[in-house]
Amino acid sequence: MSDQPRFAHASEAELARILGYYQVDWRYEPRAFPVRWNLDGAVVESFAPDFYLPEWDLYIELTTLRQSLVRKKNRKLRRLRELYPMVRVKLFYAKDFRALMLKYGRIDVAASMTGLPGQVGPGAAVDADRRSASDDATRSSAPAEHRRARRPVSAPVRPG
Amino acid sequence: MRGSTGAPPHVPDLAADVGDILIAASDIRAKVSELGARLTEDYAGRQLTLVSVLKGALPFMADLMRAISIPVQIDLMEVSSYGGTSTETSGLVRILKDLSSPIDGRDVVIVEDIIDTGLTLNYLLRYLRGKNPATLRVCALLDKPARRLVEIPIDYRGFTIPDQFVVGYGLDYGEFYRNLPFIGVLRPEVYGQS
Repeated sequence: MSDQPRFAHASEAELARILGYYQVDWRYEPRAFPVRWNLDGAVVESFAPDFYLPEWDLYIELTTLRQSLVRKKNRKLRRLRELYPMVRVKLFYAKDFRALMLKYGRIDVAASMTGLPGQVGPGAAVDADRRSASDDATRSSAPAEHRRARRPVSAPVRPG
Repeated sequence: MRGSTGAPPHVPDLAADVGDILIAASDIRAKVSELGARLTEDYAGRQLTLVSVLKGALPFMADLMRAISIPVQIDLMEVSSYGGTSTETSGLVRILKDLSSPIDGRDVVIVEDIIDTGLTLNYLLRYLRGKNPATLRVCALLDKPARRLVEIPIDYRGFTIPDQFVVGYGLDYGEFYRNLPFIGVLRPEVYGQS
């Protein structure tokens, strides 16, 4: 469908499916929060949580990165919480997502995340690294165009 | 049902597959009695209906209702689960078994075995509110807040547990282990995560 967001990782697409299945309204990366500026006041680093659940005014960040990159994300999350104390963000680590997949019987998806520590799989890991490296000044002006509400997505994840 | 798309890798060995006992049967009994007493007090003189969600909450429901000493009605619901079948990753949650009796004007308590992401319960709360109960509350034996996706008010909470894969007292893996009288932690090698 034309309004489907292009997910950065298979894990995000899977979470979108789960939220859609349970009829939870969500937005994909609707907002980027600047967390660092240069001396000229230009944004040099920002943080765009993956999902926003408007009903709970809650952002969800899924991270399936290697531990070294998780540390970077944790730092950015701490910075975000300092700068935007009213913004609620919940961070899901790879182990959390694996456990979620086991809960829903998605053993194949969970197993695909065990090849490398903290990664969905080799292909996704490349994307994850690339995304982290550019994270996220370029996304700070991303429009809130990726949105889905109470519908499942047909993102290319492995079938159940 | 958890772990439903892949059969357990071996015939379950109820004793060997559980690593640690997280909550002993005696502690469950004590907590259920405590929750029953609270419900008895809170709903004295009112029309209480307990709504249990199949299948995991059945043992808790059976014990809880007997720990309540005021007149109480019960009803059962079943809701489809994401990933439960190959078609359940592309559709929408469905009511597989609806209430047998109307609940409009009644005081309703949803009885849940465990609240994890909160997604199923959030859906149920929304669905049941549409049936106009006088009040609608939640009683959960286990609260696993680590992976909560949506905030759910839990009015009656048994135990808060860590983020571990638990089975027993209704909780399953691949439909097994529900008959354990305690809450135990499933060994990771059982579900292929060692």
